[in-house]
Amino acid sequence: MSSVLSSAIAVIVGIVVLALLVLAGFRLGLRFLLRRLLGLIFVIIGVTFITFIMGYFAPGNAVYNQLGQHYTKEAYEQLTHFYGLDLPWYQQYGNFLWRLLHLDLGHSYINDADTVWTILQRYVPASLQLGIGGVVLAVLIGVPTGVIAAIRARTRVDSSLQGVALVLYALPSFVIIPIFDIVMVWLHSQGLPSLAVSGWGTIDTMIAPIIIFGASIFAYYVRLTRSSMLEVLQQDYVRTARAKGISERAVIWRHAFRNALIPLLTAVGPALAFAVVGVFVVEVLFNIPGIGTETVAAITQRDFPVVQGTVILLSVTIVLMNLVTDVAYGFADPRIKSE
Amino acid sequence: MNPNEEFEHVSIGVPVSSGTFDELMVSQATLDAQVLAEQDEGKSISPTRAAIRRLTRDRRAMISLGIIILIIGVSFLGPLIYTHIGPTITGGPTLQDQLGPQVYHEYTHQELTQLNQPPSAAYPLGTDQLGRDILARLMAGVQVSILVTLVVITFDIVLGLVVGTLAGFFGGWIDTFLARFTDLMFAFPILLFAILAAATLGPAFIDRFGPSGRLLLVSLALGLTIWPQMARYVRGQTLQLKNQQYIEAARCVGGSNRALVVRHIVPNLFNIVLTAATLDVVGIITAEATLSLLGLGVQAPGSSLGLMISDASGQIYIQWTEVLWPTLVLATLVLCFSFVGDGVGDAFNPRTKD
Repeated sequence: MSSVLSSAIAVIVGIVVLALLVLAGFRLGLRFLLRRLLGLIFVIIGVTFITFIMGYFAPGNAVYNQLGQHYTKEAYEQLTHFYGLDLPWYQQYGNFLWRLLHLDLGHSYINDADTVWTILQRYVPASLQLGIGGVVLAVLIGVPTGVIAAIRARTRVDSSLQGVALVLYALPSFVIIPIFDIVMVWLHSQGLPSLAVSGWGTIDTMIAPIIIFGASIFAYYVRLTRSSMLEVLQQDYVRTARAKGISERAVIWRHAFRNALIPLLTAVGPALAFAVVGVFVVEVLFNIPGIGTETVAAITQRDFPVVQGTVILLSVTIVLMNLVTDVAYGFADPRIKSE
Repeated sequence: MNPNEEFEHVSIGVPVSSGTFDELMVSQATLDAQVLAEQDEGKSISPTRAAIRRLTRDRRAMISLGIIILIIGVSFLGPLIYTHIGPTITGGPTLQDQLGPQVYHEYTHQELTQLNQPPSAAYPLGTDQLGRDILARLMAGVQVSILVTLVVITFDIVLGLVVGTLAGFFGGWIDTFLARFTDLMFAFPILLFAILAAATLGPAFIDRFGPSGRLLLVSLALGLTIWPQMARYVRGQTLQLKNQQYIEAARCVGGSNRALVVRHIVPNLFNIVLTAATLDVVGIITAEATLSLLGLGVQAPGSSLGLMISDASGQIYIQWTEVLWPTLVLATLVLCFSFVGDGVGDAFNPRTKD
């Protein structure tokens, strides 16, 4: 069942990536396509190699640890063979890549009934809800806020919005969360309505993590949108549009805003990398059963295949998102083609 | 010729890629007026000195710098005095033991009769869940933050400068390497790499270097991965400097490549390196705290702001002030460094902000 599902997912992901590349190829030329594809392959091989080799050279024998008091020579050899640890490193890496192509990330050292893939499937949904919820919320509120700040540049509205954005951008979520916890505990002790400070799954547990996770991304987008808008508003075509007598609203939203969006697209990649780390912290501090909490637990238990699996999953996600961003960028700004 | 003058000329040609364009133009206008005024008085000042002057006039940055110096000073010098002041308390295993501040103001000392105490004369900020003095642990934690930052920023500057100038000046394979490595690091967030390193090599480092081994490992992992961004800034600036006439002139009078790079390019990179490094500090402090918070950085007897926050989070129903102190100190440090970073960016690169 699980293997059917995983191969189905692999096929779907493959088709989507291929479709994107072909689409990009038509639009942006074969050279762009080849360069992107090579870059993609290089990055995936790089990431998997780093993850693999660090696990390979990690001291401490996981098989020995796992057997514990049940250690016998035969059992040890059997288990070493089961994990494929008796092969030379290049063969192990080859096998590792081959299995990765089939979305087989190996077995957990701690609980060998579970494959890494099933563990990921168990924990990914919460992280995905948190991540997507936070990013969508941040972009939906952040971009219009940035536009407002740009329109009102150098007024009190602008400087207070900028101040809020700077503070939210600089403060890590693990500084905001304890303060939130203190307030909630106090509200609770006064018998006032309060939000939960841990858990996941119901609305009242999800509101706070999503908002706090989204806060820094929100600030990032406010700053970015503001500077992008300010630059566009300087352009000649904006002046022309104003001179034609178009209403200010139309100038801002139809002429300026659309062009200001282009730099925002390129920022999705870095924002995502930022978000991945943010997810770890928010999950741990709110006790959310997501991929971050699971990775941290796996590290303390030295369950290396699970750590490897999450690292690869996250970095491949980022690579694919960067690809999507590039393609979208190519569509949004035809000038990129000539570059 | 003063090379710094050349730098100012160079930056005119740099397009304003982002940042607050209007403000920059305004600040540039006032700056030009200042320089003119000073020249009228019969003395011209170097651009670097002008930048420092601009920085000292940035009130927000200066106040932040003052707070940072205060926090660092107290954290490094404070423990020397702090372990000698405070009343003698009764505690210890037999409860009749008399304890002086040199014992209970030690940041690793666990006074098991004094768990989760509120602030008092003996413990100005109270104690944590193991009866350790919070103020002492805060000072030790800030020391850790600063030491890690120093190590990582050294890696950042040295590697970024070397790879960046070589890639920009000579191009070729080192440029390709830099581009590919940066691609890789874009997909592989620094913290993810550090988490992986802590997971695989952490136990070995602890065996070899004691409890602070994990910390050393984390510093190395951050240091080895943080530099590509810096190298990219340096590379871009080097590419622009390379085509300047004064470089051509230096080459004409027989300057070797090494002399060109060391004497004419590197000094002109000062502004951009300083700006990038100041902004990186915020990221490093946050990264160390994050790793310790996740249990991958500093280990138990040691102290770190991140570790203190994670320890105190569990005590929030018992003694809520415990989590407040490390949070406040960390927030202050991060905000002040951001303000200083902003100020340095504005003062040293008035036309380029990114």
